[in-house]
Amino acid sequence: MGEPMKQTPVLEGAFVSDPEPALVGSRCRSCETVAFPAGFTCPNPRCAHKDVVATPLSRIGRLASWTTVHFPPPPPFVAPDPFVPITVVEVEFVSEGIQVVGPLAGGSVDQLRMGMAMETVVEPYYSDDSGEVIGWKFRPAGGDAHE
Amino acid sequence: MSDVIVAGVGLHPWGKFPEKSWVEMGAEVALSAVADAGMEWTQVEAMVSGAMQWGGSTGMRSGNTISAALGETGVPIANINNACASGGSLMRAAYAMITSGMHDSVLVIGTDKSPKGYFPSVPVLADEPRPPIDMVRWQVGVPNPAYWAIEMRKRMEAYGSTEEHLAQVKVKNSRHGSLNPYARYRKAFTLEQVLASPMVCDPLRLLEICATSDGAAAVVLVSERKARRLGVSPMVKVAACSLASGEFGDPTIRIPLLAAASDTAATAPLLSESRLAAQMAYEQAGLGPEDMDFVELPDNSSWHELQYLETMGFCDPGEAEKLLDAGETALGGRLPVCPSGGFSSFGEATMAQGVLQIVEVTWQLRGTAGARQVEGARKAITEVYGAQANNSACILTT
Repeated sequence: MGEPMKQTPVLEGAFVSDPEPALVGSRCRSCETVAFPAGFTCPNPRCAHKDVVATPLSRIGRLASWTTVHFPPPPPFVAPDPFVPITVVEVEFVSEGIQVVGPLAGGSVDQLRMGMAMETVVEPYYSDDSGEVIGWKFRPAGGDAHE
Repeated sequence: MSDVIVAGVGLHPWGKFPEKSWVEMGAEVALSAVADAGMEWTQVEAMVSGAMQWGGSTGMRSGNTISAALGETGVPIANINNACASGGSLMRAAYAMITSGMHDSVLVIGTDKSPKGYFPSVPVLADEPRPPIDMVRWQVGVPNPAYWAIEMRKRMEAYGSTEEHLAQVKVKNSRHGSLNPYARYRKAFTLEQVLASPMVCDPLRLLEICATSDGAAAVVLVSERKARRLGVSPMVKVAACSLASGEFGDPTIRIPLLAAASDTAATAPLLSESRLAAQMAYEQAGLGPEDMDFVELPDNSSWHELQYLETMGFCDPGEAEKLLDAGETALGGRLPVCPSGGFSSFGEATMAQGVLQIVEVTWQLRGTAGARQVEGARKAITEVYGAQANNSACILTT
């Protein structure tokens, strides 16, 4: 085994791997609005205080929609040749009141059902000369999402 | 407050013109709009022009570049970029200059050459502390049509819309486009041909997503007194010109963002900026959707056409497919949608597409739209959809 590949997060501070993989957003201390990625202030125009704190999102959400992208995105994305289509899923985090998009981790699009439980994982997106770019993905957690 | 009249229009054919610069295209439509108004270049009192990002620094100041080419006259020039809603935003700026009494004539120019395929990100400074979200979304793997496909899948789940509905939108718009000599695509497609086109972001296929084109359009807006002096006839009046942005709590994940309020927690409607822009336009004109003889809406994809019929107030949620199935949105139907052929037949040229709609509506209201003429058209609404929640709507009447 050679040196482990250098890993660079796609967006610093947008997710954690420890103790468990999760997205990190911001939560307003005053009106509780959650934003992803974290904002430096609260995006609610009717909120008076605007003081936000970084907060991990629930690990499990529910599948709200998806699509499979059949043509490679432009740089900086490094597409494999031949291109392997990417399935992008939209996951609703019910208690946070937001929906987030991310790639489907492994598995086939045939297993996807609206409303199914999806869990957050951290995996490589692609690798380039400087190493691996890692980020959040979602995969079926088994069962429907209940919160 | 003066009424605002469309005195002149100019349109360049749309397509790919590697041998011609956007400056020449913009200058050409500017001069044809000015001539159509019965004016001279030196009589134009002010200019607004699309700040064209693909043209680099001089493209961002396209109005000054075109003015320098045609002969500088010292008039005020504003260059505006509001993504695909730029054309509507230019109209709004010109409209305000005339209703305020500041100017009696304003030339609106949209000229654009687009990169092929997905619109890429514009480079940013390397010393920003965080990468721009527009770069991150490409790394995540979310091109523009993926945003639309995600909404369309929800629509299919909610209302039972089918892939055939998406294809039928293209069949209809391609038939309209086949009648328009300025359109880039003039082939009338069959349902089978559309359904055989490659999947881009399922359920959206290649022929159901607008291409990226080179195109240019220009309009001369004048005050009513100037229109009388010029002898403009028929008087096509800009009865409303709105501009709106997104509202907090809207569940639409906007290009190029990666999150939004969830559908269940949403406190604003899907495409809140588009709904708002249409409502503002109806209120301003004192008219409603039921008064419109036809509509030019932003058919960036087949999903858009279905969704915007609802967002613009023409039917209840889930009813757009029924209007399509009944043939009501085709030429000859109760409410022709995109008689020009739409962006489906022209392709997107972001600075120009909103101005293109105004040119088409003007020709329709003058009764000079040829084979695609909407019989007896007196009132119409246009709307453009811009990335990051920009939207503009115009109502024209005669």
